Amino acid sequence: MDDEPLVRWYWIGDHLGYLGGLLADHAVIALVPVLIGLLLALPLGLACARFPRLYQPLAAVFNIVYALPSLAVFVVLIPYTGLATRATVMIPLTFYALAVLLPTTVDGLRAVPEPVRQAATAMGYGPWHRLAAVELPASVPYLVAGVRVAAVSSISLASVGALVGRGGLGYLFIDGFQRTFPTPIVAGIVLIAVLALATDVVLVTARRLLAPWAVREKAVTR
Amino acid sequence: MIRFDGAGKRHPDGTIAVGSLDLDVPTGRITVLVGPSGCGKTTLLRMVNRMVEPTSGRVLLDGTDVAELDAAKLRRGIGYVIQQAGLFPHRRVIDNIATVPYLLGQDRKKARARAAELLELVGLAPETARRYPFQLSGGQQQRVGVARALAADPPVLLMDEPFSAVDPVVRAGLQDELLRLQSELNKTVLFVTHDIEEAVKLGDQVVVLHEQGRIAQLADPHTLLTAPADDGVAAFLGRDRGLRGLALRPASTVDVRPTADGLRYGSWELTLDDTGRPIGWIDRAADAALLPAAGYRPATDTLRAALDAAVLSPAGVAVALDAEGRALGTATREAVLAALSAGLPAAPAPAGRTTTGRAEDAPATDGDPDGATGGR
Repeated sequence: MDDEPLVRWYWIGDHLGYLGGLLADHAVIALVPVLIGLLLALPLGLACARFPRLYQPLAAVFNIVYALPSLAVFVVLIPYTGLATRATVMIPLTFYALAVLLPTTVDGLRAVPEPVRQAATAMGYGPWHRLAAVELPASVPYLVAGVRVAAVSSISLASVGALVGRGGLGYLFIDGFQRTFPTPIVAGIVLIAVLALATDVVLVTARRLLAPWAVREKAVTR
Repeated sequence: MIRFDGAGKRHPDGTIAVGSLDLDVPTGRITVLVGPSGCGKTTLLRMVNRMVEPTSGRVLLDGTDVAELDAAKLRRGIGYVIQQAGLFPHRRVIDNIATVPYLLGQDRKKARARAAELLELVGLAPETARRYPFQLSGGQQQRVGVARALAADPPVLLMDEPFSAVDPVVRAGLQDELLRLQSELNKTVLFVTHDIEEAVKLGDQVVVLHEQGRIAQLADPHTLLTAPADDGVAAFLGRDRGLRGLALRPASTVDVRPTADGLRYGSWELTLDDTGRPIGWIDRAADAALLPAAGYRPATDTLRAALDAAVLSPAGVAVALDAEGRALGTATREAVLAALSAGLPAAPAPAGRTTTGRAEDAPATDGDPDGATGGR
């Protein structure tokens, strides 16, 4: 390995299509679970905000799930979802995303200032209506912050899926390691970083569109 | 009319927020609940829109027990303003104001047109409409809060310390604005404050509360200041309640010596510029520098302002000004004192002295006792 340069550019040039395919697969495996996690976290979070007793047990369950090593969960799922299938990797990732997004949703809803809540009630919003029309939109900055954490951690975790045959760019690490050939490893790291960065840019843009008031608020208080 | 009929609130832990209160809040008037924190005033206010349910007694709104009404519908018909404004951070000012019309299912365009009118009514510039709440000052947010409460034109307005979080100058402006609005709108206002000065300034009737919502005194502001029910109320009103009472009485009752009749008082002379605005007082005997001339506006100011101007003046003479700041005339301290003693019960003269002796020192005219009205 001593003579092997860190990057052999010709290999990258020869495998552009292959790398692109892995990148796309990685994006789907990592980010679709975050989206599904968000769609599940919103109603669960609203229910927890409405009925606070729900929150502690639910949070405990998802914390335990989050503590399980991803590789172990992948292996356990193989008999049910098959080796090298997307589902084997995406199902645990969905739960990890949910474990991050449920607390941020609930915290975001709770962070809405009490006077805002009271004013909404006094204006004649019922409890559910108030959650949906006032507290949820007011907590968008929190939600986006949570989605950013969940997305980056999901992108990173998805590479572990390579060990059960479906890890997108993660496959490059196994490949490079087995052949003592660092080029794919470097390419994989760079592409994962690019994917994480691009996702973050999209999310920050989404926050600007969904909550223009929050972006400007930050700029002013600085 | 809002009627509290033995209304009480006992918390689940047994503490009593309000014992049992009977109170009528007359239609079209401002009733102020004032008292120290923990006297139950906010609890009482929230009973009206069912944000607090009484555990005993009833609250009647135009004869109907509010407990029988749907809470959300009831609330849409009652304006509510709170201390921190509680504006929705994610909505622009115009949509914040239009909240209740939207909830009532009003057409968006119509609701916004109405919101724009209200924006103007509360004294905000039209371009404020597009802003978000965080871009406004505290005073502006409070104005938006008032506009939002008025948007559906509710007959009843509940205000919970709405001006407590802004600085004194802004607060005075907001209070004046509320009085101006009320003179146009004639809402039934229930206003909660811990600030007795605010209570006396705004209230048609003031309810001083002890702990657990017991009424210490219910009176118009003038009566409250001049005849507190007991020592406790007197202490709550503060030591200078007599002086503060002057803020309730118009300065228009002070006799003014027109500028044409002369501007000299002893060696002091008031100098005016070409437009008739006062420049200051000159001491002709001392050849000293010009001293500033304190003025008041008889049309809009109170007796307190007139007295203040007279006290501040080196010559002991307040300058009466018109709306443009031009001098209308002058009023001596004696003239101001004459106006403020008019309408009050006559003080018995101390034995061996006359109370009018000092008036001869100044060329002031006597106060006109019939001109004073006193109170609002």
